[in-house]
Amino acid sequence: MIRFILADLRRLWLGALVIVLLVALASALGVTVTLQERALRLGSARAADKFDLVIGAPGSDTQLVLSTVFLQPAALPLLPGEVLRRLAADARVAWVAPIGFGDSFFDNPIVGTTTTLLRETTPGLAAGRLFAAEGEAVVGAAVELPLGASIKPMHGLAGAGAHVHEALSYRVVGRLLPTATAWDRAILVPIQAVWHIHGLGLDEHDEAPAGHEHDESAGDQATDAGHEPVAQPAGSAGPAAVRADADGHAHAHLDAAAPLDESWRLTPPGLPALLVKPRSIADAYRLRQAYRNEHTLAVFPGEVLTRLYATLGDARRVLALVAGGAQALVAASLVLVTVLHVGQRRRQIGALRAFGAPRAAVFAIVWSELFALVGVGIGLGFAIGYGAARLIAAGFTAQSGVVLPVGFVAADLLSAGWLLGFAALLAALPAALAYRQSPAQALRG
Amino acid sequence: MLELSLSALQVRFPGLAAPALAIERLHIAAGSRVAITGASGSGKSTLVNQLIGLERPRGARIDWSGTDLATLGEGARDRWRGRHVGLVMQDFHLFPGLSALDNVLLPAQLARVADGLCRERAAALLAQVGIRRSRQPAETLSRGEMQRVAVARALLRQPGLLVADEPTASLDADSGAAVADLLLDLASEAGSTLLVVSHDPRLCGRLQRRIELAGGRIVADSAGGTPA
Repeated sequence: MIRFILADLRRLWLGALVIVLLVALASALGVTVTLQERALRLGSARAADKFDLVIGAPGSDTQLVLSTVFLQPAALPLLPGEVLRRLAADARVAWVAPIGFGDSFFDNPIVGTTTTLLRETTPGLAAGRLFAAEGEAVVGAAVELPLGASIKPMHGLAGAGAHVHEALSYRVVGRLLPTATAWDRAILVPIQAVWHIHGLGLDEHDEAPAGHEHDESAGDQATDAGHEPVAQPAGSAGPAAVRADADGHAHAHLDAAAPLDESWRLTPPGLPALLVKPRSIADAYRLRQAYRNEHTLAVFPGEVLTRLYATLGDARRVLALVAGGAQALVAASLVLVTVLHVGQRRRQIGALRAFGAPRAAVFAIVWSELFALVGVGIGLGFAIGYGAARLIAAGFTAQSGVVLPVGFVAADLLSAGWLLGFAALLAALPAALAYRQSPAQALRG
Repeated sequence: MLELSLSALQVRFPGLAAPALAIERLHIAAGSRVAITGASGSGKSTLVNQLIGLERPRGARIDWSGTDLATLGEGARDRWRGRHVGLVMQDFHLFPGLSALDNVLLPAQLARVADGLCRERAAALLAQVGIRRSRQPAETLSRGEMQRVAVARALLRQPGLLVADEPTASLDADSGAAVADLLLDLASEAGSTLLVVSHDPRLCGRLQRRIELAGGRIVADSAGGTPA
């Protein structure tokens, strides 16, 4: 019987191939949607894993999460620097780190932060060391820059009306191990440098290295108007200086060798966001409560993401419906094709019966031929769907840095089982037709 | 070797006033060789379908050596036919993609009775009907060869009844004669009762008894049976 079925399929190989491909593509569609949605959910949850509590200025909590967790470029309102200082002294806080955005180098965002954040949120360094002076940078695992490379930051993102901060550059001193998050694509620099580049200072004194004892209120002001414009040859790494650009915007030079101060003894300038690691879960809720007011916005990224997934879930349901519709169409066309096919084979089936083949054998032949095709198609569809999801995930990773873990779970086995069960029923229809057909009439026809 | 005892056979098709087949009584002795002739539409195929249990006889008795087909269900008739009837048809009904040998074995395999002995017998039968390359795909054989493979297939399970429906009609004279020889020789070798539906006078002339049908009735029977 197997040989008969194989001979039959060999003879009708083109039709068989078309059926297999149709089924494969239809099931691949559903598989891709399922796998991709799951991968997106897992990947972004993983990306947000280290972000317990994020505090920013009042605005969109979604944007705050997208900007901090996924480093999506956006103009965030600034938070008063005083908040950082207060949090750093708060007993409920294990550590707090500022996150400053705005600059980029080609497609890689430049993020100003502290060594604390790098130590606490990354698995460590693959090469080199953490930054220790204003002019040093650490690159994420996916940044294609060697140690020692120099980075001239651009204000804004390349291609979006950005301009280069001409006169300053960072030197790459370390490379992080991969974190599978958007931060792998980031160039991480001292937040202090970002402040200085944008003319925001911890202090008012050009020559004074940070860490000097100061009047704490002095650094509170944004210093757009606080400096004398000083002409400075491009590329020089002289003392911090401010230069007016075409917009009348003030920009400062940073002192590449200036040591870092992460003690926040001076009130820092405004900040887009703060990452806070609370000491306990109870502390996390208390802190969120305390910083959810008209001046600050505190969010649990995990919570915001859950809300986003709900939206994503709706999109998935729509896509799943579309995929289901495609599968139903394929199923219907398969029924049509096989019923026609059985009609064409009336004589052959009649002859088999006339030669004494039991009806059950005829049923089994027709059923197994179709089921084998659909089964192979479904198997192939899972493979194609997996491949497609991997491709999409790879594209997503290349663009965002967030690694999407594409993988099957036990529930997929169940859905494959359902599909196969449905295929078994589907194949039974033409088989039943063949079963019921009178051999004498078939031979006459 | 089967013996037929038939009575009160009547087959009607919906929409037709006259019965397609009406035979009051027919007896065929075990081991006899019978030709069934008649113009097309005379009821030959209908009779054969009834005799081999392809259709369920209604109100009739079709008794082959003690088995009344009218009392058997469809599955039982299939089993009976597979076991006792060898069938050769005008257009061979070999299955493309399978070798000559696999074609001979197919009905036995589908009925799950193909054992080693069966295989040996299939090979021997193919040799007997003059097919040397038993592994050759069926669709590459000549028409004469195809019908000879069909004869081998019909004889595989040593049927008590060998039925040939226009076995030579789609063959040239030489191939037809060869197939006719094989049918006669192998039927007597296997001890099968032979029923041949044919227009071929040369083939019919070699059979001991000749039944002629017209309008669904037996109009002539060389054995002197009473036309109903």
